[in-house]
Amino acid sequence: MRTLWLILLSGLLAVSAQAAEPKAFNADSLKRIEARHAGKPFILVLWSANWCGYCIEELDMLGQLAKTEKRLPLVLVSVDSPEDGAAIRQTLSKAGLAHFESWVFDDAVPERLRAAIDPSWMGELPRTYLYDKRHRRQAAVGKLETAQLKTWLKQQHE
Amino acid sequence: MARRTILLLGGLLAAAGLALAGAHAQARGADGGKEMAMPSRPTLAVSAVFDGAGRLWLARVENGTLLVSHSDDGGQNFSAPVAVNPAPENIGAEGENRPKIAVAGNGTIHLSWTLLLPQPYTGEVRYSRSTDGGRTFSVPVTLNDDGRLSSHRFDSLIVDGGGRLAVVWLDGRDRDAAREKGEKFSGVSLYAARSDDDGAHFRRNEKITAHTCECCRTALAWTKDGPVALWRNLYGTNVRDFALAKLDGGEVRRLADDDWAIDACPHHGGGLAGGADGVLHAVWYTQGKNRQGLFYRRIEGDTLSAPMAFGNAQAQAGHATVAAAGDKALIAWREFDGNAYGAMVLQSGDNGKSWGAARRIAATEGAADYPLPLIHNGRAHVLWHTRHHGVRVIALD
Repeated sequence: MRTLWLILLSGLLAVSAQAAEPKAFNADSLKRIEARHAGKPFILVLWSANWCGYCIEELDMLGQLAKTEKRLPLVLVSVDSPEDGAAIRQTLSKAGLAHFESWVFDDAVPERLRAAIDPSWMGELPRTYLYDKRHRRQAAVGKLETAQLKTWLKQQHE
Repeated sequence: MARRTILLLGGLLAAAGLALAGAHAQARGADGGKEMAMPSRPTLAVSAVFDGAGRLWLARVENGTLLVSHSDDGGQNFSAPVAVNPAPENIGAEGENRPKIAVAGNGTIHLSWTLLLPQPYTGEVRYSRSTDGGRTFSVPVTLNDDGRLSSHRFDSLIVDGGGRLAVVWLDGRDRDAAREKGEKFSGVSLYAARSDDDGAHFRRNEKITAHTCECCRTALAWTKDGPVALWRNLYGTNVRDFALAKLDGGEVRRLADDDWAIDACPHHGGGLAGGADGVLHAVWYTQGKNRQGLFYRRIEGDTLSAPMAFGNAQAQAGHATVAAAGDKALIAWREFDGNAYGAMVLQSGDNGKSWGAARRIAATEGAADYPLPLIHNGRAHVLWHTRHHGVRVIALD
């Protein structure tokens, strides 16, 4: 009887680990994300499901960290397009990041969205912005190192 | 009570399981699986070339079909397109990917492209030709001959004007082989396929070099010493600076000591063109320690000019391409001013020794391909494919 319960429960858990459809990211989305996280630190992760192998490495690392780090305020933004929703969900589910906030670029002119995020960003990925609780942010260009992230997280909770 | 809960849970699970199966089917669909339709998303990335008679040839992709058409009035009107591949394939035609077209002196039309496979970052380099003036095309063949499911992407194509042609691409076979042995391997490799009989046959693939950056477009030019390739190379574990090499036994030479050390994908390649007297014109993008932005360098034998910066970094200037013929050289790139994309150009009339001022020759507010420079009969043109204006050919002089 207990075994049956466990089987059923694990089945439910497996189902809930499927990522939801990413939300459409527009030129004003970052402002709204920042407003929603007002007074709180968060991590803006820019990635692509279509062409960025280092992004997958970074997502896997974040997925590992999420298992032990209960307070991991991730906001995941894919620079692909809404048509790539299924690939984005699949990648995030596989990395163990299904339950995090997920967005996808929704503009025929991605430069407009890049300019809204950071005009000095030319599109290389992965790229991460670490926002402290006052929303002073630091950009991490390239794959984020676990140690760097852990140090930063520790500082946020001090 | 317990039994009822279990039944309820069972029902939930069954419903959720169905939902899950649905999600999986969808995921396969969007991944570009072999059994499913091509991406319906329209692609803008095209290629174009003038043949010796002044006819402009255009290659573009629609619903997984590579289409070739031509114009005899400098790009005002194009012929009805002819399909190259009989069955639709997921042809890379956005970002750093575009189909390639070249026309030999005898009129043979050569095409190469990257077929993107469903597995992440895998692909095959494909080739087809027409020997009857674009009326029919040969059944596409795969040029990478390793039989591996791996990355074979970011192809470039060049012809010598006669019957010789070269295709290069970034190839994951050495990386995958090393990983199978439990060894580390940084980056991927640059491979080439060569033909000496107008594309009827290709020699076995040759490795040009190992340890290149993974996802920037490559470039080729034909010089008196044969084909020369340009690509983003890997120095050490993660310095991603450009390099060039003659395919016929040349050593790998660093284009510039930008020192861009980054564990990331710039997804931003360079361009190469051959001018008079064996001069090579190279353009590239970097965010290295030593310089940042778009740069041009003139290469004459062992002499390289000082890197010349161009483009407005505040306007995300990027993705430059260079064309050359005789003493004329033309660089085109794209900028974004906050509202619209601009097609930008720089021109040289003295084989790259000096350059005029940057000019914005066209603008568009919607989606746009990168502007492509073309020189024919001493006249410079830019071909620009945009959502709102279609294919435009702008004569510059």
